[in-house]
Amino acid sequence: MLQYLIIQLDDTSTSYCHYTNIRNEKRLISLDDLRAGILWAMKENLMIQYVLPDYELPAEYIEEMESIDNSKIVSSHSTMINNADVIVLNGWEKGFTFRENGIYVLRITKDSLFAYSEEIKMVLPAVTRLNIVITDVETFTDADCETYKIVLESFAKEVEKLYVAGKSPQLNLLTDRMMLDKMNNCNAGYESITLAPDGCFYVCPAFYLANEDDDFGLGKSKYNVGNLIDGLDIKNPQLYRLDHAPICRHCDAYQCKRCVWLNRKTTYEVNTPSREQCVVAHIERNVAAQLLTSIRTYGEFLPERNGIEVLECLDPFEKANKW
Amino acid sequence: MEEKIKKHNSSWQDGIAKNITFIVTKDCQLACKYCYLVGKNTKERMSWEVAKQAIDYILDNEEDFKEDSVIWDFIGGEPFLEIELIDKICDYIKVELYRRNHHWFNSYRFSFSTNGINYHTDKVQDFIKKNREHLSIGITIDGTQQKHDLNRIWKTPEMEQGIAPQPQEERGSYDDVVRNIPLWLEQFPGAGTKVTISSADIPYICESVLHLYSLGIHEVNINCVFEDVWKEGDDTLFEAQLMQLADAIIDGEYYKEYSCSFFTENMGKPMDCVYENTNWCGAGKMLSIDAAGNFYPCTRFAQYSLRDKKAWIIGNVNDGIDKNKLRPFFTLDRCTQSTQECIDCEVAGGCAWCQGENYDAADTPTIYQRATAICKMHKARVRANNYYWNKLYRKLELEGIAQEKAIEHTKMSDNKNNC
Repeated sequence: MLQYLIIQLDDTSTSYCHYTNIRNEKRLISLDDLRAGILWAMKENLMIQYVLPDYELPAEYIEEMESIDNSKIVSSHSTMINNADVIVLNGWEKGFTFRENGIYVLRITKDSLFAYSEEIKMVLPAVTRLNIVITDVETFTDADCETYKIVLESFAKEVEKLYVAGKSPQLNLLTDRMMLDKMNNCNAGYESITLAPDGCFYVCPAFYLANEDDDFGLGKSKYNVGNLIDGLDIKNPQLYRLDHAPICRHCDAYQCKRCVWLNRKTTYEVNTPSREQCVVAHIERNVAAQLLTSIRTYGEFLPERNGIEVLECLDPFEKANKW
Repeated sequence: MEEKIKKHNSSWQDGIAKNITFIVTKDCQLACKYCYLVGKNTKERMSWEVAKQAIDYILDNEEDFKEDSVIWDFIGGEPFLEIELIDKICDYIKVELYRRNHHWFNSYRFSFSTNGINYHTDKVQDFIKKNREHLSIGITIDGTQQKHDLNRIWKTPEMEQGIAPQPQEERGSYDDVVRNIPLWLEQFPGAGTKVTISSADIPYICESVLHLYSLGIHEVNINCVFEDVWKEGDDTLFEAQLMQLADAIIDGEYYKEYSCSFFTENMGKPMDCVYENTNWCGAGKMLSIDAAGNFYPCTRFAQYSLRDKKAWIIGNVNDGIDKNKLRPFFTLDRCTQSTQECIDCEVAGGCAWCQGENYDAADTPTIYQRATAICKMHKARVRANNYYWNKLYRKLELEGIAQEKAIEHTKMSDNKNNC
């Protein structure tokens, strides 16, 4: 069921996920729509997450936003960075000062991730949590997978070192899977919905930020799922649920984002991940499995959880005939 | 008892052969009213270059086509309008399979669904003679002249401008097809025909099936269209027609040598979501290629087949197949795409669907929403089907008892004589 309303306050609000926001023209949500969105969220009992632009918002907006408990996602260049709950870096920024106890999203291409892996690793002791989002995951080749595994293993060594030192670093790609015993995906369209500056609801900001004529092959990539006046109207809502995702419901790469936007882009179907998304998630899963085993050699760690078996098959689709 | 009932012939290498379809033309001499091909035209004819590229791609990537056998299917429009191209394609395939020592060499078929109009022409007949041992050809004839001509009418030049003819101007194609049936049956004695039922055809079902039997066609594959065309009361009429047909087949003892796919044993039972969860349709396991060189999971996903949706392209002859675009087809199961009503249905067994029609009719661009327009027709079919099998088995049972009694009687008589 729905739990979160994401309010994309402006067309230039930062991306915090796989999609790219190339818009540079401001379009701030109207104060009336903001107010109506907040009211709707209150009635539906939803938590609000604001996605902010970099520029300073008018005082009446701030006042309205603060009328309800919320969390704020901002970019590293936002004027609101000091009030943020989550700070997004769009690419690796040399010299950026990470705030102690901060929660960060690092949006990064695979090549940059591979190139700056040593620097990125050094962030882990400093922050509460680092979420790495690879922005071109759909382009992974077999060679990229090999490199990714090596990079993750190097991250795992750092995480292990920190755990042994009594710290509890959080790196979404590795530590989430150790802690989870069921799927914990993005769940856009099922647990969260996005209100955009045009007053319409979208499955996630990516479905709003697509250009009017963008087309992944089966029609417009941009489509809304209702609006503030007529309410939410998600067609085929079951397809955003795990139980209607044949590959994912058989999978235990629990940390996978299961990005419905990427699914739509790569396989046409919001409930079906691409091979690349599955393989990347399984590489993370396997390195997490090895990390868990390694940490446990130092003593008791997460005793209530079973160990994670390292899998040879990195794409659950290949076992579809055995389901 | 079962040996007294003719079974449906299964198609060659049924379920184990790769089906590769060339949409050689989107043109047809006819403009059948129920045709799902809404975008037929005279312009999109496959070139030899595209056909060759497609064959080369498929044969170059043998590891992606591991099926033991292959059916090279030719479809239109009307495929025999492009018999010269088809002949060249088939020759090339045969040479290449041999040259490459490909595992499909000597395990292939060329398959056609034709309206039968050009069947007798020299070019088609020469092709048949040349490829006789590797051919399957189905001619579509819809039944009696009245039923056939109701839907299967000649295309007029005005139709290409979107102008429908007046009813009195419509010209049926029955005579042009039926004259080729004897030649076809002589060359393919076990061949079956495909009959399509739309709303207007219902009153003619019984007489049409019997008419096809009288033409010497022993196998009638018949189905209702999946599109949402059904009117109030159609299911009642349909059930009555099927029961009339059931009586005629049983009373006339046609069941011994003829079959009609409407009557299928063991359909109409509840289905289990674990043990009976496979998809009905083979879309995705097939491959279709059109004149532009685009690949589709089945012909029904090409643009000329779709009313409201965009073509589901999975690649092309230059770039090959994007396997990510096929993942939804290979993981699609019955229950994930079905409504709760379908899952709980007491007569779910045998209820068919077309993945392309599901996609075309869906609220979003997905193959995961099952179209249910056929629901009431399926339920009517199940009732008539139950009637048919109950009546037939009782008849055979009574005949068996009578036969046993006759044997018993003879034995007793013999014993008396011996005394």
